[in-house]
Amino acid sequence: MDTKTINYQEERKVYYKVLVALLILTAITFIQPHLFMTGSTFLAQMLIAVVKAYLIVMYYMHLKGEKLIIPMVWFAMSLVTVFFIIVIGIDVANFQFGAESHITAAAEHSAGAVHTTPASTHH
Amino acid sequence: MSHEYVPEIATDREGNEYEVQGWQGDFYAGKLGFWLFMLTEVMMFGAMFLALAYYNTLHPQDFLDASASLNRVLGGTNTVILLISALTMGLGFLKMRTGDVKGAKLMIWATILLAIIFLVIKGFEWRAEYNHGIFLLHDQLLPESSLPFGQKLFFGLYFTMTGLHGVHIIIGIGLMLWLLQRINADKVTPEHHIFHLNIALYWDIVHLIWVFVFPYYYMIGAGGATGGH
Amino acid sequence: MSKTYFDETHCAIGHPKSTFMQWMLTVDHKRIGIMYAAVMFTFFFVAVFTALAMRIELFSPGGQIMDGDTFNQAFTLHGVIMIFLFIIPGIPAIFGNIVMPLMIGAKDVSFPRLNWATFWLYILGCIIALSSLFIGEGVADTGWTFYAPYSMNTDTNVIMALVAAFVLGFASILTGLNFLVTIHRLRAPGMTFFKMPLFVWGIYATAWIQLLATPVVGITLILAILEKYFGIGIFDPAKGGDPVLFQHLFWIYSHPAVYLMILPAFGIMSEIIPTFSRKEIFGYRTIALSSASIAGIGYLVWGHHLYTSGMSDTAKTVFSFLTFFVAIPTGVKFYDWIATMYQGKIVLSTPMIWALGTIITFAIGGITGITITMIGLDIHLQDTYYTVAHFHYAILGGVVFLMFAGMHYWFPLITGKLYNETQAKIAFYLQFVGFNLLWFPMFIAGYYGMPRRYFDYLPEFQIYHQISFFGAIIFITGLIYMFVVFYKGWTKGEASTPNPWNATTLEWHLPTSPPPLENHSKVPYVDFEPYEYKNGEPVVKFDYETMRRID
Repeated sequence: MDTKTINYQEERKVYYKVLVALLILTAITFIQPHLFMTGSTFLAQMLIAVVKAYLIVMYYMHLKGEKLIIPMVWFAMSLVTVFFIIVIGIDVANFQFGAESHITAAAEHSAGAVHTTPASTHH
Repeated sequence: MSHEYVPEIATDREGNEYEVQGWQGDFYAGKLGFWLFMLTEVMMFGAMFLALAYYNTLHPQDFLDASASLNRVLGGTNTVILLISALTMGLGFLKMRTGDVKGAKLMIWATILLAIIFLVIKGFEWRAEYNHGIFLLHDQLLPESSLPFGQKLFFGLYFTMTGLHGVHIIIGIGLMLWLLQRINADKVTPEHHIFHLNIALYWDIVHLIWVFVFPYYYMIGAGGATGGH
Repeated sequence: MSKTYFDETHCAIGHPKSTFMQWMLTVDHKRIGIMYAAVMFTFFFVAVFTALAMRIELFSPGGQIMDGDTFNQAFTLHGVIMIFLFIIPGIPAIFGNIVMPLMIGAKDVSFPRLNWATFWLYILGCIIALSSLFIGEGVADTGWTFYAPYSMNTDTNVIMALVAAFVLGFASILTGLNFLVTIHRLRAPGMTFFKMPLFVWGIYATAWIQLLATPVVGITLILAILEKYFGIGIFDPAKGGDPVLFQHLFWIYSHPAVYLMILPAFGIMSEIIPTFSRKEIFGYRTIALSSASIAGIGYLVWGHHLYTSGMSDTAKTVFSFLTFFVAIPTGVKFYDWIATMYQGKIVLSTPMIWALGTIITFAIGGITGITITMIGLDIHLQDTYYTVAHFHYAILGGVVFLMFAGMHYWFPLITGKLYNETQAKIAFYLQFVGFNLLWFPMFIAGYYGMPRRYFDYLPEFQIYHQISFFGAIIFITGLIYMFVVFYKGWTKGEASTPNPWNATTLEWHLPTSPPPLENHSKVPYVDFEPYEYKNGEPVVKFDYETMRRID
């Protein structure tokens, strides 16, 4: 398109800056379990992933400044989030028959329960 | 393009003229369409993460144990490889836009090479797991084995999701080879680069999926263990 | 005679001489829409006759013409064809393709070649679905929902049905993507979102569901295939997998899918009602925004299919609450349509009669839906004929009836011919009476406990099944007669003018009927509302040579 207006050096610099940031974040990923938030590694790891994703989407995929596409991306992501909240946060978290269930009371079932499961396909 | 599209003009009652957007050569439509396509990828992998989180909630300890047994050195190497390949892809696209077709082609070849290395490492990883008795329809993952439910599900989903991610990488290699062919045929040029843009976007979404797959599988259990084996 | 889109076309590859190849390779949205219609109605009749066979089987208790296993395969075939091959792609692929670009003043959709490829992807899906009839153990016997764990165990061709549904889903995604980009990019100058005809709004909301919900079922089907052949374990209780998760993932798509069916149908209704009331539509913005909010809320209500499957009570309550909410925007639409008719100059042409009939049938379908939104009542009525009757009142009496209404409405536009009004009305009355005789007894039978998907039943239910049977015969007679009327209209009917109904939207301001290859002679500038009437006459008039307003 508009070849003239691209500042090659400038844009390349952005690519390298983001690369360095992503590499640092990857390094943090590895030392995090021994360094901080050791109680909730899962949360820490996901937060780092979100920051990485943000950098990639905004700078590598040039989402910055897209007036129409940004709301669309937000819509899709909030939809996924809502699915998570409903299925995990509302259904699984409040499931009241966990103790009676074959699949959730795993400890005593896991080895011996296979014969009693009518749905088992692998006999 | 052989015949150039001339935009039509619409005229209102006062005689003011407005340019009509045609479907021919609509750069922004190509970009918007591909972004919408990427949203479908988000939903697809979102649904798989939902399944993963579902079982993670039911069997938290099993998931940590299973995660701790994955090979973090190979997984981390692959993360860095994909990271660099995203850079080469982006630089290739930048070079294309600024008119350096030769440099762009070189960068695409570099990306293909990195993608292949990624797959090879993945292959070694899967083979090591197979040798440990952990593979689909094999030994530990059969219904008869005494591996706890949570671990079986973890590994079942691990092979599913890394496998589907691998399929995306293979498709990506195919697309990049096609892109090179289109560049050689002068169909993709610095003036007409929508195809290149979309494949660069595709490669970024493949990278993006890995950004989440990697910590969820390899890192959540890293706290309890002293390191990969 | 000027040339129409039947005489010339653009092709995806080359410029073939033969007419047949020109149709196969066409990228013209109007021709693609017609081809979709031809294929879909062929399948529609296959599924209709499968259903008739089931009705014959159920004429009296005990086995008549098929055993239980065949019956299972019959209702699966009926469901898979009707849902995946006919009604989900239906209105968007047929009328979205033919009419939507005309309504926004575009020359074609944004990606015409992709549109062509999508059509052939759809055909591929159809072939895979049909080939399961002749390979191995025959059609799947799981029902169209493929519930785990049974679908993982049965020996019938579940994999073919799963792959077919995946391919068809992909075609649906690409259609939605194409329409979204088209609506964002190719509207005529001056046409803002709130100046679009309401059918375009329906297609727009639908396209978002196609785009964002379909991938979820796509991956679910892939997971089911991987489960069946690679034992990944996620739906297999022997490895700790939870079959209820399959239901969650399946309905995350398949419930929005019913809004995907109904929203463009409501769009057709919103076109027909103002046109035949000769009056501006009441509450344009509320109808447009209710389409959007039905699409939005529709994503969050899938759990009402799982009341008896084993969800937490909290989740059931939340889903019940959210489901009630969908009724609000739907109700808004209905009041708007009725308010539009109030003090209008109502013209009872065939499309209008279909629309009015639908108001009755869909109201019954919708209100019975509200009853089974309630958890307690649903536990009584789940998997009975009550639910079956509710579904068919909403989808057959809502979506398909409005699709027929749209066919009568746009028939002159597409073919350039008129059908015989009297005969078309007879066909409507036959179908309307037959439809109610067929489905209404099922509400009662279901309430007394007749379970669905059974090939045998207790003698006390016989009377309902027999009334249904006679209703089915009348309905199918009317259905066939309607297509005969269309056929006669197309081959021998009078030529139509470009605007036979005195309608206002842009697809009726074409230079010829049927339209020329590249639609409007020139793209108009849109500085008017879509439905402007004054004293029963359209306000906006165009000079069809220059497409400038002359009123």
